[in-house]
This record gives sequence, structure tokens and C-alpha cells, in this order.
Amino acid sequence: MHNSVKSIGSASLAVKLTAVSKRYSDVTAIDNLNLEVGKGEIIGLLGPNGSGKSTLIKMILGLVKPDSGTISVLDIPLKQNAIGVKKRVGYVPEDSTAYEFLTGLEFLDFAGDVFQMGLDEKKKRIEEFLKALSLEGREGDMISSYSEGMKKKILIISALMHKPELLLLDEPLNTLDPKSARIVKDLLHQLALQNVTTIISTHVLEIAQAVCNRIAIMYEGKLLALGTMDELRQQAKMPNSALEDIFLKLTGTEDIQPIVEALSK
Amino acid sequence: MNWKTVLLLVSVNRKANRAIRGAKFRRYRDNKLFTYGLYALACLIGILAGGLIGNFYSASNQTVQTAVLQGTTYFLVSIPTIVLLYGLVFTQISQTQRIGAKVSVQPIYWFPISWREHTLASIIANLLGAPLLITIFISSALLVACVFMGLIALAVLTIVALLASLILASATTEIFKTLDVRLSGAITKAAGKSAIWLRLIFSVGSMLVFYLIYFSIYNQISPALLFESVAGGQRAVWFIPYVWPGMALSAFASSLWMETIFFSLATLAFAGAVFLIATHINTRFGLYELPAIKLSSGVYTPKTSLFGKLGFSPTETALMKKDFKGLTRRHELTFIFIFPISMLAMVFLSVLRMAQGDLPPVGISYFLFAIITLFPGIWIAPFVGGMLTGLEGSSVWYLFSSPISAKSIAKSKFFFVAFFSLSVTLICSIIGGIVFRPSVLFVAVTLLEAVFLIFSLSAISVALGIKAADFRGFFPFSRVIKPKWGLLNFLLCAVIGLAIVAPIIPYVLSVFAVSFLPAMPLLPEYYVYAGLFLSGIIAVAVTHVFRGVAVSNAEQVIAEAESI
Ligand SMILES: Nc1ncnc2c1ncn2[C@@H]1O[C@H](COP(=O)(O)OP(=O)(O)OP(=O)(O)O)[C@@H](O)[C@H]1O
Ligand SMILES: [Mg+2]
Repeated sequence: MHNSVKSIGSASLAVKLTAVSKRYSDVTAIDNLNLEVGKGEIIGLLGPNGSGKSTLIKMILGLVKPDSGTISVLDIPLKQNAIGVKKRVGYVPEDSTAYEFLTGLEFLDFAGDVFQMGLDEKKKRIEEFLKALSLEGREGDMISSYSEGMKKKILIISALMHKPELLLLDEPLNTLDPKSARIVKDLLHQLALQNVTTIISTHVLEIAQAVCNRIAIMYEGKLLALGTMDELRQQAKMPNSALEDIFLKLTGTEDIQPIVEALSK
Repeated sequence: MNWKTVLLLVSVNRKANRAIRGAKFRRYRDNKLFTYGLYALACLIGILAGGLIGNFYSASNQTVQTAVLQGTTYFLVSIPTIVLLYGLVFTQISQTQRIGAKVSVQPIYWFPISWREHTLASIIANLLGAPLLITIFISSALLVACVFMGLIALAVLTIVALLASLILASATTEIFKTLDVRLSGAITKAAGKSAIWLRLIFSVGSMLVFYLIYFSIYNQISPALLFESVAGGQRAVWFIPYVWPGMALSAFASSLWMETIFFSLATLAFAGAVFLIATHINTRFGLYELPAIKLSSGVYTPKTSLFGKLGFSPTETALMKKDFKGLTRRHELTFIFIFPISMLAMVFLSVLRMAQGDLPPVGISYFLFAIITLFPGIWIAPFVGGMLTGLEGSSVWYLFSSPISAKSIAKSKFFFVAFFSLSVTLICSIIGGIVFRPSVLFVAVTLLEAVFLIFSLSAISVALGIKAADFRGFFPFSRVIKPKWGLLNFLLCAVIGLAIVAPIIPYVLSVFAVSFLPAMPLLPEYYVYAGLFLSGIIAVAVTHVFRGVAVSNAEQVIAEAESI
């Protein structure tokens, strides 16, 4: 069991981005970004709206092609074998839903087939997850009739059930109830012990602090800071501060009081 | 009632159509000229047409003038009922499209808007577009033509009646829309899995009724007599409130003043009543409630399905199963079944005639069998094949983010379309065979040609459908595929379809010719086998080539995933 964060040999990298950039006409979504994530790490992506978190995650999955730079995932250069990579990755999108005309169970069955799981394993995993995330009894309903959180749970299950080695989760917890969110968080910890890597974007700083080994703060497509909580405190020169203050300082929005005052007039 | 609110709501409703037209999202600007110009254009064309008719009238002699006057009166008297009918059809279509595109405008219940305002706005907005355009055209043509004929009073009254009919139609649609959403929700809640079939059968059933009426009208009444029979027909059903605008007009044309006043008032009262009912129903049920469809509640037992046993991989099987569910569960897609069903309605009508001792000649019944066997398949294959990839819609991210190869996508779509069309073809041909009793050889030839056509057209349309797919999150049929590619799909299917049946045509023609002119010589039988052989070769070649194209198109789409 190897879960060392400090000493990353290049052989055990889960994700490696070198000088990656991406522009959308007049917007620079990702700006010359370098990132190395070791196997078994949980990386939290923080950043203001539009700072490039989702774009980064989609690039690692191969959905968005970089304009320049190279990406390798699970030691495979991304261009070369996209399907081989996707087989070993679980992805939860930020805003999309599953096929609304299928029932939750049918969608999971579909996902299991797509990832070529065996019949018994599929049944076992689906039932476990449905039970763990309190979806039992609703799995036969059409997804179009689900609440936001239930839709998200189905996506989370479909991303986790085939035992991927890399999890790319784009704001997975923001609509989940406290119990289910806790289960997912604890599950991520357990999986990390089994060398499963997670990259998770979130706006909830507590989640980042509680779940992640290392935290990456993005701003306008650049990586402002990357490290453990202690390393971030050092970098911001704010030894005893909470993550919120560090985040606000690094992203240049520490003077909030005048704004609030102007708005309340 | 706050009229400003109503106008605002109408404009919101109008803008909802953007999603159906598939306008671009960023930096969207309304094209004012286009929005209002169309109505002006309809008016202008109407005035021109009216002027032409009026000129023709002035230039003709006494007898012609009397006949034209008589015809015009019939036309004027019947037109409100006709407007009502097309008003109903168009408003229903636009509602279905909107529900499909998920842009039915929901009342924002936390805003200060009353249900009466909401209902009225919705009724008016439903009429924008085709119904209003056609009515403006008819009205302006009428008015100008009637100036020449000296029927101005009747023409003005007709226009008022047209507007009344339109509003009646739209208000009725509004009632049906709300009830439909509510009812399908309620049915599905109560009935579980059968609800989906119930819904399908219900939609298909109403289409069947519509087509039966259409065919019976078509078979019995020539278009020239249509207006006269509508005018006469509406007198026979005077007790149906929807024909009251027409009744008022016809009373006016016959100078029956009491009746005119009575039916005018009755129309007003009825329109008011429909509006009140619509408002009431909206108040009661208007807040859209998603149907909680429960499909299964028993134990989950994953199975290897039929396709799996046929040698398809689990991924391909899963994709095909999903596509089948999508096609049968989505309310809006039942239109695909219209064509086969109208074909079967045609069979039904022929049976009725045969029952009256009216046996069709052999040539005709063979011809009908061929049409019934061939057409449903060659309608469904290009249609479904062209749409299938686009129907993934915004959920296409799942295909892109999963380990699904381009080959699996192309293969599963192709076989799905082919099997689906084949099963419909088989059902239709069995029914056709029982009714029309063609010879065994003829059945075999027709079925073989059907198979050739279906496989080739499926390959073509899937290949082009992948290219044509438009995954922008909403779901109007018109924008599931990019229009240019959709058109190309149909053109190519038409040309290659013709090429495939071409070798067999000489023999078929000679068979028909013999049945009408027994003196004609029948071509020797080996022509059939040679023709079939040629057809088969063309079909295999086309299928092979376009399956390759489909795979490479799928590769391209996956490579360009990010632009979606
Ligand atoms: N398909 C696209 N076309 C044009 N611009 C895009 C596209 N996708 C992303 N962008 C732009 O790229 C930038 C980064 O977007 P991204 O979605 O990665 O931000 P994010 O950090 O995930 O934001 P949020 O916290 O709101 O989810 C934004 O400015 C966005 O407008
Ligand atoms: Mg995002």
C-alpha cells in the first residue's frame, strides 16, 4: 500500500500535464498549465467561476483537446489510446444528466454493459451503491422524474461502479444530502488507499479541506497554488489562516467589506 | 387583467420558439425584419391573389360571374370551420414540438401573474407563426377579391369569424395540452410499465383515426366539392359549438338576421366559456408535474439479451437496447409510426371495399401489396437512421466519456435501424399478404427487395446521420439533425433506392401491363432472377461502402467531441 504524496516517481503518475493551453476564441480557458498528480492522491480543484476547472477536467478525460502542450493519463499519452484511457476512468460531469428516458436502474445497467462488467458483478455493485446512496425503491423510476440530487447520485454510481483507477469528479457533491455526501467522501478516502486517484472540483472549501491531500487553486486558467494546507499557508504567508482567507487572498478578492457595503445601500 | 403583462408573456412565448428553430446561443439578437416581415409578406401576397381573382371576376361574363359568386359564398361560409381545423392541427403540432423541446413556457408562479393572463398569453402565442400567416393571407385575399364582387360586408364578417375560429382552436389546444400533461402523469403513476405502451397505443390510435378520416374524405369527395360539403356538413352538425362562426356567416349570407345574431352571440359565449375552462384547468393543473414513471419494482436480474446471443458485444447490445427504449418511450417520436399506420389504414379501406363486393383487379392488389411491404421500411430506415445519432442530444457526453469505439457506435446504430425497419416491414407484409393474396414468387421478390433496400438505406442514413447530428441539448425534430445533411440523406437514399430496384422494374411493369392488357407478352421469368441478382449486388456494395463511411464519420465526431 503506497500512498506517499511527497515523493512522486514519474512512473507512478496518474496524470501529467505539460505546458497545456486552451483558448476559446477570445477567452483563455487554460493558460500554460503544468500539473502532476500521483497515484492514490486526492486533488481538490478550487477557483472562481470560469477559472477553467471544468475545462481542465474535460481535457484530462480527452473530451477537450488542448491547443498546445501534452497530457498523459495513467502513463498513457492521451492522444494515442483514448478508449483505453476511458475504460479506466470514472467521470461525473458538472451539469449534464443521464438519458432521461431510461430508469435509474436501466441507465446503470447500460453503463455496466458499456464498461463490460460481468453480469454478477454488475448486479452486486449496482445493488450495493443504490443501497448506500439511499436510492432503493426509486431505481425503477424514470430519470426524468428524479430530483437534482438523485440524478447526480446516478451519475456518481455510474462513474464508480466499474472500479476505475482515476476519478474525475466535477462538483459531484453540491446537490447531495449530508449523509450521501459523507458516504462518497469516505469512499474516496478508502479508494485512495487502494491507489485510486481522484481529481475533484468544488466550491465548498470545507470539502476540499476535509477530502483532499493536495489543493489546487486556479485563476484565469492558471494554477495559482498547489499543495497541502500547510504548503498553501506558507505560500500565502498566512500561517494560521483558514482556507477561505487563503483562497480569497490568492484570488485577489480579500477586500470584500466595501463591496458588501455598497450592495447593502 | 393586465394587458401589458399579457403582451410581455406573449413575447416570452414567441421567443421560446428559438429553441425549436435552433437559434445560436451566444450574442443572440432578434431579427425584427424576419419576425414581422413574414406577416407583411403574407398580407401582400394575399392582396395580390385577391386582386387577380377580382380581375378575373370583373372580366368574365354573366354566367361565369354567377357561378363564381355562388362558389365564393360557399367558400366564405365554410372557411371558418376549415380555419378551425387547421388552427387545431397547427397549434397542436407546435405544442407537441415545444413539449418535446422542453420549452413549454412554464408559469413562473412566484411572479405576480394571474392565471387568466397566463392562459390568454399562451392562447395568443400559440397562433403566431403558421396559423396566423395562413389566416392573414386568406383574409387579405378575401377582402380584396370581395371588393370586386360587392360582398364586402360578408368578407368583413368572415374575417371576424376566422379570428374567432382561430381563438377557439388555440384555446382548445391549451385545454388539451394541460390535460395531456396531467393525464399522462396520472396514467403513468397508476399503471406502471403498461403506461408507456398505453401512451404509445393512444398516440398511434389517434393517428389512425385521423388518417381514416383523411382517406375516406380523399376517396369520396373531390376537392372541388369539399367546400360545398363542409358548408352543407356544418348545417348538419349545427349543435357542435365549433361550427357556430360558420353558421353565423351562412345565416348572414342567406339574410336570416335573427339566426345571424343568435349564432354570433352564441359564438362569443362559447369562446368565453372555452377561455374560462382553459383558465380554470390551468389554475388547477397548470403547474407542470413530471410524471413519476415506475417501470419496474421487482428484483434486478441482469440478462444477456437476444442481441448478445447473436454475437454483438455487450457495449453494442447496450446501445441498441437504449435506442429502442428511447424510440418507443418518447412521446414526440410516435410520428415515425404514422406512415406504416396510414399504409395499414389504406389496407383497411380496401378491405371495406372488397366487403362490398368491389374486388380490385389483380394488378392493383399486387401493386398495393408491394407498396405496403416496401414503403414502411424505406420510410423508417432513412428517418430513424438520420435522427438516431442526433437523438443522443445533450446526453451524448456519456458516449464521448465512455470507452465506446467509433466502430461500436456505427455498428449498433446500423443494426438497430435495419432490424427495426425489418420488423415493421414484416408485420406490414404479413397483413398485406393476407388481404391481397399475391403469388408466392411476387411475395418473395418483394420481400427480398425490401431487405436489400433496408440494409442499404440504413447504412446510408446512419453514415450521414452521424455527420448530421446536432447535439445542442434540446430536442426539436428539425434540429436533431443539421438541415443540410438531413436533405442530403434523403436525396441519397432516394437515388440509391431507385438504383437498387431499377433492375427489377422491367419485369414488374410487364406483370402490371399484362393484368390490364392481356394481349401484352409477359417477360420471361429469368428476368426476375437476373434483376434480383443485380439488386443484391448493388445493395451489398452500397451497404459495405456506407458502413465504412459511418465508422469514419463516428471517429470524426468523437475526435471533435469538445465542440459540442
Ligand atoms: N465550449 C466553450 N466555448 C467557449 N468558451 C468556453 C467553453 N467552455 C468553457 N469556456 C470558457 O472557458 C472558461 C473556463 O470555463 P470552465 O467551465 O472551465 O470554468 P469553471 O472553473 O469550471 O467554472 P465554474 O466554477 O463556474 O464551474 C470560461 O471563461 C468559459 O466561458
Ligand atoms: Mg465548472
